[in-house]
Amino acid sequence: MGKSIVQMKGLTKVIKNKRIVSDLSFDIYEGEVFGFLGPNGAGKTTTIRMMVGLMSITEGDVIINGNSIKTDFEKAVANIGAIVENPELYKFLSGYDNLMQYARMVKGITKEKIDEVVELVGLTSAIRNKVKTYSLGMRQRLGLAQCLLHDPKVLILDEPTNGLDPAGIREMRDYLQKLTREKGMAIIVSSHLLSEMEMMCDRIGIIQKGQLVGVQTVNELINEESQTYIVEVSDISAAQKVLSKYSVEINEGDIYVQASREDVPEIIEKLVHAGIKIYGIKVNSKTLEDRFLEITNV
Amino acid sequence: MTMIKLIQNEWIKIIKRPGTLVMIALVIILVGVVGAFTKYSEGKSQQVTNDKWKQVLQQDTDSLKKDLKEASKNDPNRKFIEKNIAVNEYRIKHNIAPNEERNVWTFIDSTSDVIVLVGLFTIIIAANIVASEFNWGTIKLLLIRPYSRSEIILSKYLTSILFGLVFLAVLFCASLIIGLILFGPADGNPSYLAYVDGHVEEQSRLLYSAKLYLLSFIETFMLATMAFMVSTIFRNNTIAIGLSIFLLFMGNVITTIVATKYEWAKYILFANTNLMQYMDGAPLVEGMTMVFSCIVLICYLVVFLFLAFYVFSKRDVTA
Repeated sequence: MGKSIVQMKGLTKVIKNKRIVSDLSFDIYEGEVFGFLGPNGAGKTTTIRMMVGLMSITEGDVIINGNSIKTDFEKAVANIGAIVENPELYKFLSGYDNLMQYARMVKGITKEKIDEVVELVGLTSAIRNKVKTYSLGMRQRLGLAQCLLHDPKVLILDEPTNGLDPAGIREMRDYLQKLTREKGMAIIVSSHLLSEMEMMCDRIGIIQKGQLVGVQTVNELINEESQTYIVEVSDISAAQKVLSKYSVEINEGDIYVQASREDVPEIIEKLVHAGIKIYGIKVNSKTLEDRFLEITNV
Repeated sequence: MTMIKLIQNEWIKIIKRPGTLVMIALVIILVGVVGAFTKYSEGKSQQVTNDKWKQVLQQDTDSLKKDLKEASKNDPNRKFIEKNIAVNEYRIKHNIAPNEERNVWTFIDSTSDVIVLVGLFTIIIAANIVASEFNWGTIKLLLIRPYSRSEIILSKYLTSILFGLVFLAVLFCASLIIGLILFGPADGNPSYLAYVDGHVEEQSRLLYSAKLYLLSFIETFMLATMAFMVSTIFRNNTIAIGLSIFLLFMGNVITTIVATKYEWAKYILFANTNLMQYMDGAPLVEGMTMVFSCIVLICYLVVFLFLAFYVFSKRDVTA
């Protein structure tokens, strides 16, 4: 893992005596895609807004590349490219003029850089048109372009695949992964699309009621030590007897066995030995959705 | 010089909106219309200079001198009367007729009334410049940049004032050009007779007109600042514009009424926005001076700007 580029230290937000976000502390590393997950109202958006300076921090701090958002805002935010909720742009200006607005605010962004970024998000043909003529997907892509102009170290994206068609989502996912691999950017993604998060993220932080419930790698979350295997057999009751050693459940004509990977050969051997026909055996992997609901419904 | 870049950005956002061009076009067309009207109603109210003007003026002056004798020491009109006497006597002495033939300078002075419209549009721009970013949602992207909130809001304020000044200049130039085309330059070189420190001075017409425009702009400037502040605090341009328009048209009337009863009226903003009252007429409330008004105006300005900056800097953005 690369070095830690974002540190949240005891981040807390209190509004009218209500603790919206409570004592969040974790690190995000260079080159990783970090997912922010949580039910509605958990405090994800508030946390993101605090990270980028849109909302004030009640207690704690966010450190970006060594600079504190609280005390050194301008230096810290220079390392961030962000889209919070939808990327709103000036509809009466062209895509190009919109990008120029942001380019002007930072030193050293050349025309070539702008063209490069426009090419990257696939808007070269439409960039001179007014944004009011753009489709939702195009606006999303222009929003991404505006994030990337100044080569930030950290990208913060709220629902980045919102409004994209499947091809667009795939492109976005590939592109974001490319950014982390080639440029070593850290990308923080907040999304409700669990299947997307599963495919895109390296680690996931789950937030509930303003508190951090857990930070785990995606693999860890999905693949636990002990898994459930589904075995399709010819004789269910006989199979049940054979597998009495394991925790077994019958569901819609299939046998669900709780076992570890090492147990599989033994299970098959036992069934074969008892003369029971086996038509198939597979892992019942829990999706992120199952795990997510499990964790947050505690 | 990042402030210049910020102002450049804000300027583009104002100019590239079709509404702005409509505003500018309207003002120029209005000047043209006023010009056409004035020109073609020439026959009706022709002011002819005839030889009798000296006599008329002398009669006027005599009657004014009588008024002066009868006026009490503290009558605020004293200064006004003294000024008229001095100017009249100067005219008689130097043979300067009081009524000019219509020319570009009279036209420019008459179109100074259009400054109200310029003021109105400037107020609208100032009220929109912050509130619209919130309405559009673009404020989020604007603030996630390496600038303090103070810098951002300062750039917006400066741009709206700059817009007002540029618009004023456009009005002046349009009046100048249309005036020259329709009425031609003045014969000879008529100067403006200013009453300075107890005696009469001849001043350049250009200077006088420029001063007139700039001073008329003060009311606009103060109201635009107020609109800017209100729209920043309430994040709503409608309240800001409504309030400002109301005050633009009613402010003076209300203040005058209050002034007849209470002395503290002199602290009201509108009692001090017309600095011409010290040059051409009588102060609204006794004891007011140019310096006093300037100080009052600066105080209002500081309060307005402080409020706007403070609120903008501290508030959470949830838009």
